[in-house]
Amino acid sequence: MKFLTTILLFFLCLPALAYPSSSENAGKKMVVVPGGNYYSFLVTNSNKPIPVAAFLMDETAVTNAEFLEFVKANPSWQRSKVNRLFADANYLKQWAGDLDLGKDRQKLGNTPVVNVSWFAAEAYAKWKGKRLPTVAEWELAGAGTPDKLKKNMSLTDYILDWYNRPNAQQLPATKTTYRNEYGLYDMHGLIWEWTFNFNSFISKGDSRATTEDEKKLFCAAGAMSVKDRKNYAAFLRFSYRGSLKGSYCIANLGFRCAKSIK
Amino acid sequence: MKKTILTLLLAGTMATMFTACRTNTDTSSGAMSNIDTTTTGTVNAELTDAPNVPKPLTYTSPKRVMVTLEVIEKVMRIADSTEYTFWTFGGSVPGKFIRVRQGDMVDFTLKNMPDSKLPHNIDLHAVTGPGGGATVTNVAPGYDARFQFRALNPGLYIYHCATGPVGMHIANGMYGLIYVEPQHNPLPKVDHEFYLMQGDFYTKGKFEAKGLQEFDMDKAIDEKADYVLFNGRVNALTGPNSLKVKQGETVRLFVGNGGPNLVSSFHVIGEIFNTVRVEGGDLVNHNVQTTLIPAGGATVIDMKMEVPGHYHIVDHSIFRAFNKGAIAQIKVEGKNDPNVFMNLKKK
Repeated sequence: MKFLTTILLFFLCLPALAYPSSSENAGKKMVVVPGGNYYSFLVTNSNKPIPVAAFLMDETAVTNAEFLEFVKANPSWQRSKVNRLFADANYLKQWAGDLDLGKDRQKLGNTPVVNVSWFAAEAYAKWKGKRLPTVAEWELAGAGTPDKLKKNMSLTDYILDWYNRPNAQQLPATKTTYRNEYGLYDMHGLIWEWTFNFNSFISKGDSRATTEDEKKLFCAAGAMSVKDRKNYAAFLRFSYRGSLKGSYCIANLGFRCAKSIK
Repeated sequence: MKKTILTLLLAGTMATMFTACRTNTDTSSGAMSNIDTTTTGTVNAELTDAPNVPKPLTYTSPKRVMVTLEVIEKVMRIADSTEYTFWTFGGSVPGKFIRVRQGDMVDFTLKNMPDSKLPHNIDLHAVTGPGGGATVTNVAPGYDARFQFRALNPGLYIYHCATGPVGMHIANGMYGLIYVEPQHNPLPKVDHEFYLMQGDFYTKGKFEAKGLQEFDMDKAIDEKADYVLFNGRVNALTGPNSLKVKQGETVRLFVGNGGPNLVSSFHVIGEIFNTVRVEGGDLVNHNVQTTLIPAGGATVIDMKMEVPGHYHIVDHSIFRAFNKGAIAQIKVEGKNDPNVFMNLKKK
């Protein structure tokens, strides 16, 4: 509820913020993710599959270099000028300054931008004439089969192994993990990614609690724990999303944009 | 001055009324019935890594107790040639031992380090309240949460992470112990207090397979542990790392079982437990050979080490001791007492 209010407030503020629209929308390659039904891992009687229409998605996460262009064009999103309601103190802390990626700029430029808030990601997407993907869209896209993985390794193994490893000291560049059947790179194994409705499911921290949504989560956990490890990985993503607030800026959290097909 | 006295008087009266009120409605020996909850002063809790236990508390009235635990995900050795990515409360497995007193108000901060991959929270079994604290402590990497709880019930309790999937967080080492000293009749003094915690681990490779081993979800679900360990590492408490005491000394073991799956048939070879505070609660048993510690439970064991030598602490589900690492040692030094034990065959 609080979050909804925040979103509402945010949109009410939009005219005042007035982003100039980017003229180079063609800059980043987008690929088509075919539509389908998204089956949430929260399996309950009332929880029906969510139909998802085919949509476009950035082939990689937004990079530091790309985000730099955004803050150049939109000074209110520069580190020293940003409104704390929209991005907390960790915002873009990997940069040397407002418009300076630091001495590793070459390397950093090609790595996914992290330490960006939901609000900042949303503003970037708007500026590009795009939007953030929904949870359903992101999960469908993320479930795409990898082109190739190590022998005998399933995508689920790959995901769980990544969740299990602490953050890399230096974040690798985009396109360094794997490409999936839709042509999307690094859907798992590089960073976590913001989604438009990231906390529409979980409002509290305890996945075993007894409020309506969380009860579903708990029951699902019990039901799933038998065989469906794929959903176990989804469970981790839901836990992660559930711990977020819109202003949070985290060292392993970035985003990529989506666009509806008209 | 006058005002202070008045305030104190008023506070005292209110506390008495409150206590009296509760006594009328709750006649059990449990929480709140006879306990003093008038909190004065603030202390920082002493936090220790296993096998050390914080010193017994010296204050005799309820305090506001400040506790901060840091969640740290890190690669450590699980065996001499094997590494594992542990998720920890405070940088080691088990997490920091917390010692408070019944009636204390615990002011608890959970910090998730910025380098963490995942969100974490904490469910302390000593908490009376939703989720044991888990509902208010789910923290993203780089953030922290803070809440307070009144330590209503005395006893030994475990704490653990309860972020989904809970089993995975526990399997990676996210557990520890909190001891709530009773307001009345504290534990008798002993010469040594030690902190042990059993846990089962599930790895892609077999027991002691070399290199960095990853968590194996299938094995965890099937409850087929590769490791059953005291204090998170093969040989954490053997050889040069043994617990050392002198002949004739008394030893108290605060033992928890983090699980996630296995219950412990806790036994010390060659010793009989003089006193077991069953399940960490008020029930006291004497002369016990093996005591059961449920996953997510704890026990307090007192024993006297009469005879010098090496004593093996084991999970007497015995393959776990010999094949999966569930073994620790107490080394008792000193002069033998033939009145208790002697080898009769001359060398």
